[in-house]
Amino acid sequence: MNGKLPPPVRRSDGVIVPFNKELIVKSLLRETQLVKELYGERPLTEDEAKRIADEVQDEILGMRLKMLSGPLIREIVNVKLLEHGFAKHRNVYTRVGMPLYEVYKIDNSDGYESRENANLQPNPETFHKKKADFLSKESYLLMIPSHIADAHLRGDIHLHDLEYWGTRPFCQDWDLRYFFHYGLMPDGTGTHTSVAGPAKHAEVAILHAAKVLGAAQTNFAGGQGFFNFTVFMAPYLKDFDSKRLHQTAQMFLYEMTQLYVARGGQPVFSSIQIESGVPKVWQDAPVVSHGKKWTDLRYGDLEDTVHAFAVALLEEYLKGDAMGKMFNFPKPEVVQRVRYWDDREFEDVMLRAAELSAKFGSTYYDNMIPAYRGGEDGVSCFQCCAYSFSEDGRSENFHKKVMFEDGAHFSMGGMQVVTVNLPRVAYKSGGDEAKLIEVLKSTMDIAKEALMLKKATIKRQFERGLIPFASQHPRGAPPAVDIDNLSLTIGFVGMNELVQHTTGYEIHEDPSAQKLALKVLIEMDKIRKSYSDETGEKFSIARTPAESAAQRFAVADLIHYPKFARELVKGDLEKGISLLNDTKDIPVYYSNGAHVNVAAQLSLDQRLSIEQRFFPILKGGDIFHVWLGEANPDPEALMKLNMRLAKQSWVGYWSHTKDITVCRDCGYVGGGLSSNCPTCGSPSVKSYSRITGYYQDISSWNAAKRQELKDRYRVRLL
Amino acid sequence: MCEEACVYAPEVIPLSLCDYPGEPAIVIFFSGCNYRCGYCQNWRIRDQDRSHLVRLDRIERVLEGGRLVTACKVTGGEPLLQPGALMRIAKKAKSLGYKFGIDTNGTFPERLSAVLPMIDLVSIDVKTALNDLEYSKVTGVEKPMAARVIESIRIALESEAFVDLRMVVIPGVNDNAEVISSISRDLKRMGYAEKASAGRANFTLVEFVPENAGSREYAAMRSPSVDELLELGRAMQLRNVRVSHRALGYCVSIDRILH
Repeated sequence: MNGKLPPPVRRSDGVIVPFNKELIVKSLLRETQLVKELYGERPLTEDEAKRIADEVQDEILGMRLKMLSGPLIREIVNVKLLEHGFAKHRNVYTRVGMPLYEVYKIDNSDGYESRENANLQPNPETFHKKKADFLSKESYLLMIPSHIADAHLRGDIHLHDLEYWGTRPFCQDWDLRYFFHYGLMPDGTGTHTSVAGPAKHAEVAILHAAKVLGAAQTNFAGGQGFFNFTVFMAPYLKDFDSKRLHQTAQMFLYEMTQLYVARGGQPVFSSIQIESGVPKVWQDAPVVSHGKKWTDLRYGDLEDTVHAFAVALLEEYLKGDAMGKMFNFPKPEVVQRVRYWDDREFEDVMLRAAELSAKFGSTYYDNMIPAYRGGEDGVSCFQCCAYSFSEDGRSENFHKKVMFEDGAHFSMGGMQVVTVNLPRVAYKSGGDEAKLIEVLKSTMDIAKEALMLKKATIKRQFERGLIPFASQHPRGAPPAVDIDNLSLTIGFVGMNELVQHTTGYEIHEDPSAQKLALKVLIEMDKIRKSYSDETGEKFSIARTPAESAAQRFAVADLIHYPKFARELVKGDLEKGISLLNDTKDIPVYYSNGAHVNVAAQLSLDQRLSIEQRFFPILKGGDIFHVWLGEANPDPEALMKLNMRLAKQSWVGYWSHTKDITVCRDCGYVGGGLSSNCPTCGSPSVKSYSRITGYYQDISSWNAAKRQELKDRYRVRLL
Repeated sequence: MCEEACVYAPEVIPLSLCDYPGEPAIVIFFSGCNYRCGYCQNWRIRDQDRSHLVRLDRIERVLEGGRLVTACKVTGGEPLLQPGALMRIAKKAKSLGYKFGIDTNGTFPERLSAVLPMIDLVSIDVKTALNDLEYSKVTGVEKPMAARVIESIRIALESEAFVDLRMVVIPGVNDNAEVISSISRDLKRMGYAEKASAGRANFTLVEFVPENAGSREYAAMRSPSVDELLELGRAMQLRNVRVSHRALGYCVSIDRILH
């Protein structure tokens, strides 16, 4: 051209340098190596890179600029890459980031996903996390194969917690014995934090337990919990009187709701499994605590302590915090066994659990009684947002783990959840059932491919020590987490709408609709089994909590399948459509999992008889919601209802949801949703309800979930 | 559509956790009432309407389908306005092994007496002091027949049934010391104390909820605080006094709160 040079360049690493075409060539050669690594295709050749760089320089000269920046040059290079047909090379050469306007809005607690996760309260940590999330999500969508990314973006599937795709597994239920034997290294290596020996005192044991979950949260995307919590804590508590037991329980609840440090300023998403006694499997197992395996003490000897600690924990939950508010974490998972109901001795635990449901709705019931839960011979738990994990008593090394031989222990959890948009499967198959199964299989195949990719990615990170709390192995112990034992979960949303589109009836409206729902689930389970057999991985099927996916799928279908979706999405369609151009946070949704329409006018009996049939198939997790209509349920009546649900239904997990209003002026806490305080009249009230699998302030819910709350049909009314 | 085997019963709650103490219950609402209380939360079904008629066998099917419940409660309206239907539902409920209870305003002592052998729980409203002057202020009728309410309470206390006496506390209407001491005096005379010490009777002070009131006058009033309910409860000087308030949870015995 005219022999002139472009102006100097302000680089994003903070210096101004003269323009140098060679740097573009170098960076193209270096960065397009990722095309080979990520997609298995060839990087640019030197000639190609040089040609691009020449054209970029000409382009810049033609623009007559006074100043250049690194990001601007990169944008021009990307245009040239596209012009030459190097779409994948452009993918990896992309500068990920977000518009300045969005950053500004985030700092003002608005805009990007400000309601995606109701646990995130606006604060400086949250704003930072939002920006990091945006950048991470955008990059992972470029890094994974484009047909998977497109399936996610189109709304065929939902990749949960995408911001953590390349760095964190999903959730974990920990074995406390491990830390009571080996001590605590919060960083997993002992280089950046102090290293504590095994707890010798109850207070230290309780603090270690809290810190395990806090540290674990930095390595995992989802919920952290302890199975068999009351049993494994018992050796530290055996000589305690009731007062000290209560004090210890209270410490734990406050630690778990005040360690306000996880993932962008939120409490750890935590749960504890509360056994009233010592389960059969653990009766003869040696106690592990105080840094050793006891030779003269078995868990069975500690049953009275386990029982008393369960009561103390529930009584502390019942008290609430200093304001009288509920403790929304750790979620108390109260185990149901035939013995706890038939032996009157345990009635105090069952009654406290019911009182807690009646007061705050916070109890979750983990029902081991139905045969599909594995009976008294296995180990199993529900946690996070109602995901279920189990180890069969006949599985490999089960006995070794129970006996803690050479540090062998349980590690139950999830690697990743990918959710399938079932209504879309129905739309694509045009009402033909045979076609339906075909489309279902091809959609699940993409989910499977995504899950296998996630597994490979995380396993590599794990082996490199980049998930250090999970991979820790102090003093020759086996790693804390068994990375190969984490479930690959395929979730689903909108079974109700799938059958509605195909049969013309919602699940609760006609037996043909229920039959189809069961048939689809059985097919899904067969496909799941074929994946497990083929890969040796633990695939499972679960109802997804779908806090955001139930809305995202409905919105995606209003865009891509408007004719069908307008007939089927639940919520306020008119309002939703009027807002659709401005925001994707609109009040429409699909029904979660295989749940019936939340607005269906059914008695609890009727809903139970439909939904319980899905539990035995959904071994990866499901929940039965009892929406309490009354402001003041009677705990004893509620306990009798629980007994019937536990012993006479197939429901493996349920909770009672009670809406609660808290006044910030006078401190009133009471049942029901009110816009003004019933006592002092103040409008400064906060209302709480269960969003999908946990309690949170309603004002932080997304529009679809707030609509669902309005639509929920309560047991009380008819 | 209905000839004989019908009942004015516009609503059924297939599962309630707050209408039958200690039991998950099916609740059946009969319509029609001989009182006109301004605070009534069920004012929409105060008058019988043809649209409320339901065949009794439909109600029996609902009872048969209640696998999660252990009791049945008939409320209203005033259940004793339709004694025949009430008896038939009571028999069905008992044959299915349910506990059976009713709510009544107490103005039909003879009919109450006739159904009492079938009944495990009778809840009688105590609107205010048990005399016509006070009763007419609350019930909105000129001849409230308080003497018949007293008779009903007496019959109930002498029966085998559990007796739950309930008073909705409305600040400025029935929450004064004279009303409370008058009720307390009457109940002692009728043998409440003996039945209460046997654990077979209680007296419940219930929070008035203006949002649910049928009349505009009452909707503008305020609800009592927990402390006010407790204060009245103490002043009754009776055994087994309980309070029911949104901020407390289900009916709680005042002894439990005070200790």
